[in-house]
Amino acid sequence: MVLVVLRRLGVFATTVVVASVVTFLMLSILPGNAARIALGVQASEADVAAQATAMGLDRPAIVRYLDWFGNVLIGDFGTSTVSRQAIGPEITDALGITVILVLTSVVLALLFAIPFGILTAVRQRKPDGAILSGISQIGVAVPGFLAGMLLVTIFAVTLRWLPAGGWVDPGEDFGGFIEHLILPAIALGSVQGAVLSRYVRSSVLEVMREDFIRTARAKGLGAGRALFRHGLRNAAVPVMTVLGLQIATLLVGAVVIERVFSIPGLGSLLLDKVALRDLPAVQGIVLVLVVFVLALNFLVDLAFTLIDPRLRSAT
Amino acid sequence: MTTNAPTLSVTDLRVGSPFDELLHGISFDIAVGERVGLIGESGSGKSLTATSVMGLLPETLAATGTIRLNGVDADLLTAGERRLNSLRGNTMAMVFQEPMTALNPLMRVGAQVAEIMMVHRTERGRRQARERAVELLAQVKLPNPAEAALAFPHQLSGGQRQRVMLAMAMANDPQLLLCDEPTTALDVTVQAEVLKLIGNLVTDRGTALLLITHDIAVVAEVCQRVLVMYQGNIVEDGPVGRVLTAPQHPYTQKLIAASDLSSVDERGRLHTMSMPVIAKPVTATPGTARPRTTASAPSHVQADAAAALLLPPYPAAHQRLEPDGPPVIFNEVAGVPAISVRDLSRQYRRRGGGLFAPAPIVHGLREVSFDVAEGQRFGIVGESGSGKSTLMRILCALDQPSGGTVDVLGQSIDGASERQLRDFRSQVQIVFQDPMGSLDPRMRVRDIVAEPLRNVGRAEALARVEAQLAAVGLDADVMHRHPHQFSGGQRQRISIARALITRPRVLVADEAVSALDVSVRAQVLNLLADLVDEYQLTLVFVSHDLGVIRHLCDTVAVISDGRIVECGPTASVYDRPLHPYTRQLVSATPSMDELARRVAN
Repeated sequence: MVLVVLRRLGVFATTVVVASVVTFLMLSILPGNAARIALGVQASEADVAAQATAMGLDRPAIVRYLDWFGNVLIGDFGTSTVSRQAIGPEITDALGITVILVLTSVVLALLFAIPFGILTAVRQRKPDGAILSGISQIGVAVPGFLAGMLLVTIFAVTLRWLPAGGWVDPGEDFGGFIEHLILPAIALGSVQGAVLSRYVRSSVLEVMREDFIRTARAKGLGAGRALFRHGLRNAAVPVMTVLGLQIATLLVGAVVIERVFSIPGLGSLLLDKVALRDLPAVQGIVLVLVVFVLALNFLVDLAFTLIDPRLRSAT
Repeated sequence: MTTNAPTLSVTDLRVGSPFDELLHGISFDIAVGERVGLIGESGSGKSLTATSVMGLLPETLAATGTIRLNGVDADLLTAGERRLNSLRGNTMAMVFQEPMTALNPLMRVGAQVAEIMMVHRTERGRRQARERAVELLAQVKLPNPAEAALAFPHQLSGGQRQRVMLAMAMANDPQLLLCDEPTTALDVTVQAEVLKLIGNLVTDRGTALLLITHDIAVVAEVCQRVLVMYQGNIVEDGPVGRVLTAPQHPYTQKLIAASDLSSVDERGRLHTMSMPVIAKPVTATPGTARPRTTASAPSHVQADAAAALLLPPYPAAHQRLEPDGPPVIFNEVAGVPAISVRDLSRQYRRRGGGLFAPAPIVHGLREVSFDVAEGQRFGIVGESGSGKSTLMRILCALDQPSGGTVDVLGQSIDGASERQLRDFRSQVQIVFQDPMGSLDPRMRVRDIVAEPLRNVGRAEALARVEAQLAAVGLDADVMHRHPHQFSGGQRQRISIARALITRPRVLVADEAVSALDVSVRAQVLNLLADLVDEYQLTLVFVSHDLGVIRHLCDTVAVISDGRIVECGPTASVYDRPLHPYTRQLVSATPSMDELARRVAN
């Protein structure tokens, strides 16, 4: 068990390093010179060259990479070429917001998808099951930003129950924080929830046909009890695979939703920095996003190992 | 017994969907403590009968009639779900076929056994149930029961899992135990042990048994009475000994004749049952068919005489591997053999091990040496994990050996590139076990059969496909259909046609009849035997079933734990096994005569 965790941790660390190399290379390949971007189009060649030396751009790529990644590991993301301030604190603040938003929407999605998916599976042959199934099918088709705008129109503009956008720090005003979190989290989570509920449904249907469910029935467990005691953990395995894959989609969704609700998360920060062509900042944010996805996938992998004993042994 | 009410009484049971009736009003009783076998081929309705009793029919099927259980005042077919839940696992229990999937993979087996007692509150608490579970696991002779209780299903072998299922079923001392093909997925030697265990358990506790199987030998081993099912009807009901030796119904007579691989008709062919519609009877080419062993020959003298008839060009020596003895070259052939294997080894690196420690090595084959002469029918028999499939794959150049040499038809195939093997591929063809999985479901039969042909024009290819299909007993109009439109036996005929279309010199068959029903098995075996004669093939037949090999092959190699432990003329190996493992294997696969003798005692 410990060995398996260590091995997965090793894989995680390796992927992070590879991701950092790819991120670094992609932004190096981009046309345009970081030094010229920092100084503007009017700057003379000599000034640009001097700036490049100051920024260390004349060093070989490998040295620049090691310098950058080494500093990132100790939390130093470098200095913005636009604001001339350290990028690190900005990223950390924005990351905190995005993590809260994404995790809340994952929880909401699961809270919706699991009961809904089980219900549609169990009631498969009944008319209500078909109707519920149809609803989730529609949910899958609605894009997140549209759901967000609808929610804003209904709950913020018409009913005036909740704020239309913005963000309040939980330490500042917890009630306000919750109010500001509800709509974006629902907007982001509802689509994922609908997609997940489809997988929960098919996974539960699959599991209900398994031989060990028949065994449980033959032991005298009722259909519901057999499904609950033996089916759900087994059904969770494929659902979690999908959840892991969806996390990347969720982050892309977060970028859009943060715009819709004007939330100062990592997505908003990324779009701002791209608009400003602040390459060091973009590079740092992209790396953080990638590591975030990898970290969540690592956690999903660990959860797999906890659920399924077949993955625990080292063979 | 007759004064008591029967444990189970089924009257006029009909099961069907709105479109189709599958069980046509069957009736039978099982007396207290009686052991009854229910035998029939796939689709005959055996499993439906058992699931009807348990009340676990699929939602799409409905049942009428009455099913009564001794001491239960309600008809099981109309009883409510709550009532059935209190009976299932308590008054009646069931063991299913697939030990691999019938246990929850995420739950420790001890907990799964304990659960059945918790559900019916037959033990006071969780701890008592767990302790009782360990006792039960000991009763089904699981080694280290306390440790085994903490294992997950994937850590146990198939036989061990089936023991766990039995422990579970017997936990609450049911009146009636239903077993649906409980040993079909197990190796023969394991099957014998599990059957003995079932027999002992129900006899000791006076439990009535309904044992469903397609294998008449299994019934003979455990049961007192047998019901024969055919197309949704019970066609025969009688004591096992009588049904075995003097079957009344024509279907039973044919079933028993077709099950008996040691008995052949006057032309040396197995007894078959009526042919399916599409299949034409195969015309044996007179004169080319060699007489096959009549293995029922009672004495060694006759058996040897039969073997001698088969073997003039191949005086295979009957040899065994001695413990700690030197490696033996089995069936060594003078001149150029069709297949020559020397010191063949295959090791696998198992995934995992420590983080830095090297992966553990698993030995698939160890220093295997043997020859197969041109035209010989060479059987390889072994149980799962013995290495027989690895050997088959290497002989077909589908896998590379870790050491040793393999020459087939004078060509060295170890380490040869796919380009060098092109000729080899057309000379050596394979028929696989699973007639469902080995044919591409999206291809038409003509394309499947024509696929191995190279550099052949379309018209000629079609003509050859047609001729080949005719040779395996299929009409030309099957060419345009897809595999799912055929039965298992027909699909296996298609596989054989595909294998023979390149006119190979060597045919390798991997468990080619194991997935087929008894009656179809006899047909396909007859067909294979005819074709081997007609095309003068060298046959390598890999199987777990000694009976099949005994019928089809003149020479047999017994493989166990990656080594050939014994090899020689089939009749000689069968009648005078030298190696203890072979002896165990032979006694676990009794012939029909032997069965009748055992039942009589």
